[in-house]
Amino acid sequence: MADSKPPDTLVKRPTVETRSRLGDADEDRPAMQYDYTNFYFGAGEDPFALLDPFDAWWSEAEPEGYYQYESPLQSAPSTRVDVLDKKTGEVRAGLINFASYNYLGLSYRAEVKEAIKAAVDVYGGGSSGSPILSGTTALHQELSEEVAHFKLKEGALVFPTGYSANVGTIAGLMRSGDLIVADQWAHASIVDGMVLSKATSRFFRHNNVEDLERKLSGFNGKKLVVVEGVYSMDGDLPPLRDIVTVSKKYGARIMIDEAHSVFVFGDNGRGVVESLDLEEEVDIHLGTFSKSLGGQGGYTAGSLKLINYLRGFSRSRFFSCALAPTVVAGVLTALRLARSEPQLRTKLWDNVRFMNAKLDGAGVPTGASASQVIPIMVRDDARIFRIGEELFRAGVFINPVKYPAVPKHKSRFRMSISAAHTHDDLERGAAIIAGVLRDFGVCQ
Amino acid sequence: MPVVAGSYAFATGVSAFFEMPTSDARRILPDHLEPVEVTHQRSILAVTAFHFTESVAGPHVELMFSVIVPPVPGQWKQRQHPKAGFYPFLAATSSDESRQHRSEGFSIPHITDDIDAKFVESAGTLRVSIWSRRGPIVDLTVTQHKWESTTHLLHTFMMDGNRRLKSNLQVSGRYTVHENERGRMTLHHHPMTTALTLDEISPYPFREHWLKDGVELFHPLETL
Repeated sequence: MADSKPPDTLVKRPTVETRSRLGDADEDRPAMQYDYTNFYFGAGEDPFALLDPFDAWWSEAEPEGYYQYESPLQSAPSTRVDVLDKKTGEVRAGLINFASYNYLGLSYRAEVKEAIKAAVDVYGGGSSGSPILSGTTALHQELSEEVAHFKLKEGALVFPTGYSANVGTIAGLMRSGDLIVADQWAHASIVDGMVLSKATSRFFRHNNVEDLERKLSGFNGKKLVVVEGVYSMDGDLPPLRDIVTVSKKYGARIMIDEAHSVFVFGDNGRGVVESLDLEEEVDIHLGTFSKSLGGQGGYTAGSLKLINYLRGFSRSRFFSCALAPTVVAGVLTALRLARSEPQLRTKLWDNVRFMNAKLDGAGVPTGASASQVIPIMVRDDARIFRIGEELFRAGVFINPVKYPAVPKHKSRFRMSISAAHTHDDLERGAAIIAGVLRDFGVCQ
Repeated sequence: MPVVAGSYAFATGVSAFFEMPTSDARRILPDHLEPVEVTHQRSILAVTAFHFTESVAGPHVELMFSVIVPPVPGQWKQRQHPKAGFYPFLAATSSDESRQHRSEGFSIPHITDDIDAKFVESAGTLRVSIWSRRGPIVDLTVTQHKWESTTHLLHTFMMDGNRRLKSNLQVSGRYTVHENERGRMTLHHHPMTTALTLDEISPYPFREHWLKDGVELFHPLETL
């Protein structure tokens, strides 16, 4: 673990020459005026027609710094991480980590690691089968029962990923001729579930209940409304009470994806639905084990009838290999820790308040977040990657997010706060971020 | 059909993208073109309006409705890979000469009305109103983000009977683009808008392009 290491780099102010270079627009760098979307669609008859232009573009764009993802970590996703600098081939040690989810800092807890080791001795590496065939172990059964118990629901179904949970639940339930209405910023897995279901799909403007009502009205047939507990790019919450009211008015069932909010919101960590006392009003409850629990997998919880139905019709679940028992053992332990240590949530929220105050005080623009996901708004697609490089060199590991993941010129860094961060981590991180953003003129 | 190329200098131009039902887009497009979907079952209506100050057809105003379609992939190293493809399915202009030039020279369908337009810029906002003798057609507002100079290569697709045509379009000028959803559009009931299900078109442009002091260069038509 790299927790106790100081950053090996200090904040380096760019020289005047460097600053001038950093301030250049992309007019002279054609590759940076293009993005993935320009290579997604192409007319013609050869499915490989886009490969050559994409490859040629990529060979220019990547060295220009277009892609700052998949930098291999050399340590656990804790508050300080060692990361390979793909440009130099050197490992940058002790970077302050704002990129990993791991909101409660559970992925590397000793109890979790011990449970995983114990499961290896019993079960070996993988589950070697679909959950409906040979892939379900006693641990899988225990996990689904514990999730249902935790969520105060009759049943729960465990999926290999959160993506699979959304796809399998939506496409498992909805059919051609039905209507699904989702928030326009719904996660790709929700959208893919909608596509796969062949139902009519509509998207309402983000958090706009009037638009939701417009999209629901005038449709006769089965209706499902899908929202998220915390939106992963902005960290904001849905107006869930109003959404429930409108959905019920039109006879629509309601599904909430609490990937980023379960174990974080609510007195008991049961998510935004608990914090708003809407647990009974929402019909389908999704969550993941990869965010707050620092593991892997997803779940759907609800009535026993719903779960039994989805068990038979969620193709993404039963046509996938079940989660590795080692992963399940780690998740199960992390789940128990999250339930038995409410102080983790208290610490997380204290950290969120502390960081917001530091960033606000430094004039760093942070958008409309109401959660542990804090967007650092740069709003400059041309320079977001260069700013990201400077942050990386200055000692902060944080992911840039640019179009098409977010709308054009709503580029930002997505900051994840963890209960494991110390105030010192946060203070240093905020100072580095503010310093670099100041150099680029993003904040004063 | 004569093969022509056209150069059009503009003072102001706007191109705003709106979500439209894919079912409408498919109805409008010829068989060989597919709509680009911005999200599942939602395609893209591009509403463009330009004030051309100098062109092969003289000064004029043009309003064009297009469906966004995939362009033909091009060589990146030769800078021939286009950014987007347009299928302009209906246009309107302010003069006979420009209408004849664009409809006969480029096979872009036009309404027969002459249009008139107001482009009013104030405080980082451009308001465009376009109408003909039969009433208002569109009121469109776009806003600015960061101005840059740019050159974009686009593909436009047309049909001449059963002939499938393409023209490369190079647009240069000062340019601002964003997706902050600050703009707004009202499409009026008018012969220009009859192909569209107006209630199903988002009144908010999800992308707003605003251009100034530039040139559109239409390359000669190619048969696909």
